[in-house]
Amino acid sequence: MQRRSAARLGPLLLLFLLPLAWGEGPEPPRAAGELQVSNRLAGQAARVALHYLNYRLGSPSALRALGQVRKATVKTIPEIGHKYYLQFTTEDYKSSQNVGTCLATVFYLKRKPRPAVNINCTYTKDQKQTREDDYSFYKKMRQQTKPITGNDIPDSYGNIEPALEPAWALAVAGSSYLMWEKSTENLGYFMAQVKNVKQWITKDDSIDFDYSVVLHEIPTQEMISCHLRVIWTPGHPLKVKYFCLSENQRSEFGEGSGSESGSTNGIFNEEEANF
Amino acid sequence: MQTSQLDFWLHPSNPALPVDIRVPFPSLQAVKVFLESHHIEYSILLEDLQVIVEEEKQEMVNNQRRERGTSNFNYGAYHPLESIYAALDDLAAEYPSLVSKQKIGESYEKRPMYILKFSTGGTNRPAIWFDAGIHSREWVTQATALWTAKKIASEYGNNPSVTSLLNRMDIFLLVVTNPDGYAFTHTNNRMWRKTRSKNSGSLCIGVDPNRNWDAGFGGPGASTNPCSESYHGPSANSEVEVKNVVNFIKSHGKIKAFLTLHSYSQLLLFPFGYKCTNPADYKELEAVGKAAASALASLHGTTYKVGTICSTIYQASGGSIDWSYDYGIKYSFAFELRDTGRYGFLLPASQIIPTAEETWLGLLKIMEHVRDNQ
Repeated sequence: MQRRSAARLGPLLLLFLLPLAWGEGPEPPRAAGELQVSNRLAGQAARVALHYLNYRLGSPSALRALGQVRKATVKTIPEIGHKYYLQFTTEDYKSSQNVGTCLATVFYLKRKPRPAVNINCTYTKDQKQTREDDYSFYKKMRQQTKPITGNDIPDSYGNIEPALEPAWALAVAGSSYLMWEKSTENLGYFMAQVKNVKQWITKDDSIDFDYSVVLHEIPTQEMISCHLRVIWTPGHPLKVKYFCLSENQRSEFGEGSGSESGSTNGIFNEEEANF
Repeated sequence: MQTSQLDFWLHPSNPALPVDIRVPFPSLQAVKVFLESHHIEYSILLEDLQVIVEEEKQEMVNNQRRERGTSNFNYGAYHPLESIYAALDDLAAEYPSLVSKQKIGESYEKRPMYILKFSTGGTNRPAIWFDAGIHSREWVTQATALWTAKKIASEYGNNPSVTSLLNRMDIFLLVVTNPDGYAFTHTNNRMWRKTRSKNSGSLCIGVDPNRNWDAGFGGPGASTNPCSESYHGPSANSEVEVKNVVNFIKSHGKIKAFLTLHSYSQLLLFPFGYKCTNPADYKELEAVGKAAASALASLHGTTYKVGTICSTIYQASGGSIDWSYDYGIKYSFAFELRDTGRYGFLLPASQIIPTAEETWLGLLKIMEHVRDNQ
């Protein structure tokens, strides 16, 4: 949430505290104005929260997918937008194992281009292991003398070459930024395929990839082609630049560097990035 | 005679013995003239050798098929259209007293649309309609339908429920509802969804066949733009693929259930999509749907959400199960199969059989209910 709008939201602060009291206890009293949310909108909002989380965490080995939505309510804040309060389970993106629960708010704002997300999650996967996995991918890419390339990941038959899997996962993390930006209350996204990946060999500490990805847009069913540039150093915010073109020739571009507003408890601190 | 390319099957050896010659067509006249002018008697053993060769080739193929049967067909892989069509023939050949193949029409590009009829007899028994692949990129649906066809055929006589079902009702199964689109996903664009019909006044091709049915046609949730993936087309049933199914259902007259497969999202849906109000049979459909989803989940733990199209997925007009329901087919359900977005349309082939197996349990629940509530 932007600071300058805090004053306007001041009187509503009390209501924001309610979701934080959720835990294993009984259902919180529903504040006036909170409505039950349909399956569709709840899932959509939860996915937006996860796009934001996956982008901010910037960890290909720790990507999360939506499990089940446990609770979802929405509040209309007149003149400003719709705010969703969500509780959902998450699964590991690759293995589908349950990896924890999240509490999130997703605020679709009338006058801002992207939803404001606050998300806090428990994470049951071994974080030491995910950091090691991230680092070993990073190291392998840093050691490339010839840039890695790939096409159609997964291919038409759903196959992902094991050697290219981490690069695909990084594409998911990078695409998560762009999917978060583009999502609205009614438009949702999935990353359908990496059409092309090409590594840039750099002299600095980061690893650097150019991706062509295809996003699946719901409910329009359109397949959106986007170019992504992803620059990554483990433990640092993901840097993403993108440019999208849809069939109807709408073009959009954007840039993310981890400094966008929103919050999550899951960021690796700078101090911890000592390998 | 040097350039006539005569092929001697029985060479001249003795003036008392006959000679057999294969004569290429261009040389036929000249050879006849030569023989007649030299008073050499001849008779024609085979008028057209090519026909015989073709017949023999086909017989060999048929024999190979019967030998291989459907036991060697890899149901756990994605196949091009020709292979799927060959598998339909194999099924009909392997279970001749139960399964027959019928053509219900042709696609826009003139590909045949084949259904399999599962019937143990009777005349125009009440029946269940089941289709897949209306959206061509949803490959797990055609694969699941084909596996299901084999399952139904092999379960008859072995599974009491399937046996009692087929003793009372017929099943009609359309594995590839959109063959032009399916072929296109193999040759050009894996993500093609629509038909391949030309749109007048536009360079863009194709109509969303699941926005083209006569149910709230042209309403919310469908596009008027021919370049859109959800373009509803110029009019209801403008797509020949849709029209063929509608004609079949209407002329059959006793279809009691309309089941259709899509992917992905793991949902079990019932009407309505074109309007956000509940159908009159909401309670029953929800109960059946929940029982089916529960049966499905019992196998591999795959969870499905159950509900109306509008509240569960999105408002969409011109959909097939809305049409079938409004037409009077109460048990109208749409499955959105695996997964929930990781692979999406590009579901790994290793998941085909698990998907088909779990879906079968859900389908069977629905079919049993239909059977028991005639």
